[in-house]
Amino acid sequence: MKKRVLGWLADTALVLYFVFALFPIAWMVILSLKPADQLFSTYFSFSPTLDGYRTVLGDSEGIPFVRFFVNSLVVSVGAVVLSLVVGLPAAYASARWRFKGSENLMFTLLSFRFAPELTVIIPLFVLYQKLGLFDTYVGMVWVLQLVTLPLIVWIMRSYFADLTPELEQAALLDGYTRKQAFFKVALPLVKPGIAAVSLLAFIFAWNNFVFPLILTSNEAQTVTVGALSFLGGDRPKYNLTAAAALVSVVPPLLLALTIQRYLVRGLSFGAVKS
Amino acid sequence: MTELELRDLRKTYRARGRPGVDAVRGLDLALRSGELLGLLGPSGCGKSTTLRMIAGLEPVTGGDILVGGASVVERPAQRRNIGVAFENYALYPPLSVAENLAFGLKARGRKARGDVDRKVKEIAERVGLTDLLDARPAGLSSGQKQRVSLARALIREPDVLLLDEPLSHLDAAQRDTTRRELKRIQKDLGHTTILVTHDQEEALSLADRIAVMKDGVIQQLGTPYEIYDSPANVFVADFVGEPAITLLPGIADRDGHARLSGSVRIALPVPVDPGREVVVGIRPEDVRLTAEDGLPARVVAHEPLLESGIATLALDGVERHLVVLTDPDVRLAHDERVRVAADRRHTHVFDAETGEALR
Repeated sequence: MKKRVLGWLADTALVLYFVFALFPIAWMVILSLKPADQLFSTYFSFSPTLDGYRTVLGDSEGIPFVRFFVNSLVVSVGAVVLSLVVGLPAAYASARWRFKGSENLMFTLLSFRFAPELTVIIPLFVLYQKLGLFDTYVGMVWVLQLVTLPLIVWIMRSYFADLTPELEQAALLDGYTRKQAFFKVALPLVKPGIAAVSLLAFIFAWNNFVFPLILTSNEAQTVTVGALSFLGGDRPKYNLTAAAALVSVVPPLLLALTIQRYLVRGLSFGAVKS
Repeated sequence: MTELELRDLRKTYRARGRPGVDAVRGLDLALRSGELLGLLGPSGCGKSTTLRMIAGLEPVTGGDILVGGASVVERPAQRRNIGVAFENYALYPPLSVAENLAFGLKARGRKARGDVDRKVKEIAERVGLTDLLDARPAGLSSGQKQRVSLARALIREPDVLLLDEPLSHLDAAQRDTTRRELKRIQKDLGHTTILVTHDQEEALSLADRIAVMKDGVIQQLGTPYEIYDSPANVFVADFVGEPAITLLPGIADRDGHARLSGSVRIALPVPVDPGREVVVGIRPEDVRLTAEDGLPARVVAHEPLLESGIATLALDGVERHLVVLTDPDVRLAHDERVRVAADRRHTHVFDAETGEALR
């Protein structure tokens, strides 16, 4: 009896939590479907329309949302690719060799993740202005390394550390070079890890708000900042902002669904062995 | 095929702010062509470090390694042509057995496809893997994995073959068959081979000669019989032999005996200065129960093990117990009084201070 009461209580608590957690998303969906003139006059009963989405995707209102969307794709993919190119060898090296200061180096890299972006954003803004990196793809890809590189290096490091070094040593004895041992032996074995960590890094890069807010203005602006443009002007257009925000959720969501299998393993940071 | 020689080989591990650790201290070893040498010792004795230095996976602190008379110590692992069968097999999981074997051949490149296939088939037949060529490593038993690992080391026709604890992960039945296979294949192909192991049974049954190692130093080098019959010191005597030798401290007497206690004396195989402190070693199989003369003892425990029994006896006034191998039909009760005799010719005597055998 006591157990059943506890069960009900738990169920009730869960339901309440789900309502609490999902309500903002539901509210966004509702908002995005409202016609402009019913925005402030209705709650749940209104005449739903896809006009908001049409406006957002049709680049009307003078806001190039599609370009923002493409910008987000370009800088996020670019940041992940660059981080993989630099980070995979770094992760491998740090997993296999200890050298003077290697742990300090790794810790410094990690500190990029827990230091608030705001601590560096003002000097970065000045630097970017002077270097001509302000509002460029290169500038965004570069600054996003602060987000994606530590993630990729640290997670991939544990994947490489899980591989027994004898596999590469056997390859060396067979006559492969160190480079070949890395590319032909170690790298193919951590493919699931690469898939998972790339997705994670992509999501973090995509969701980043502070860097594009300060370091872009128009040409390289991303959706996270771009979606807010609809709030400017004489009247804030909440329905358009909601539609833009929901559209911008689509790519990470699709990616996450496609490689969900790897994601779980990736999130466990290589701690789960197959 | 090829001789292997180690000259004054040394390895010191250095860590900042701490004194260096000497893992291998001046190893001299020469293997005849086609010889199988067992490097036997407890964990941490430097045997694996030695193997890794020969393979080129560990830099050498000092000394030289000669393969076929030529120094290879400056060459990287890729250019030494040494085959290693790793303890954990190190098979490449995504590849089939055949691809694993071919992987090693492809490194040096420019081998015709047909050539590779032919060699893979050839070695698979030798090692008994023909039926498993399409299998993945994950689906193989430990014994099969060990054979693939061995085949991969052999397919390149290495000058020297190194086996790292080849039988340690096998169960008892697989160990027996794999051991026989290993011996046959090594003799067939005639590779100069070093076998690293902590398991004396593995070394005694496979090796032509055994080097017993401790603390980075070779304690004794010899055939399995030499190691077993005349151990060079207390460590070798104690490490080799199952059940282990009984080591009893005593003092040499005037008439070629060692006094172990007030009443117990044991005849020594060699003359020893009277009054010298010694350790007498008696292997369990060299003691027998007698009816009449012999040392009086009390049975502490008796384990009948079908093909023989192991008795633990307390000699009067002697602190350490004597272990005796008994005949299968012998039954002993707890606290029973018995008499034992040890054959003087098979008794070992060591200096108590240095542990060296007295001869």
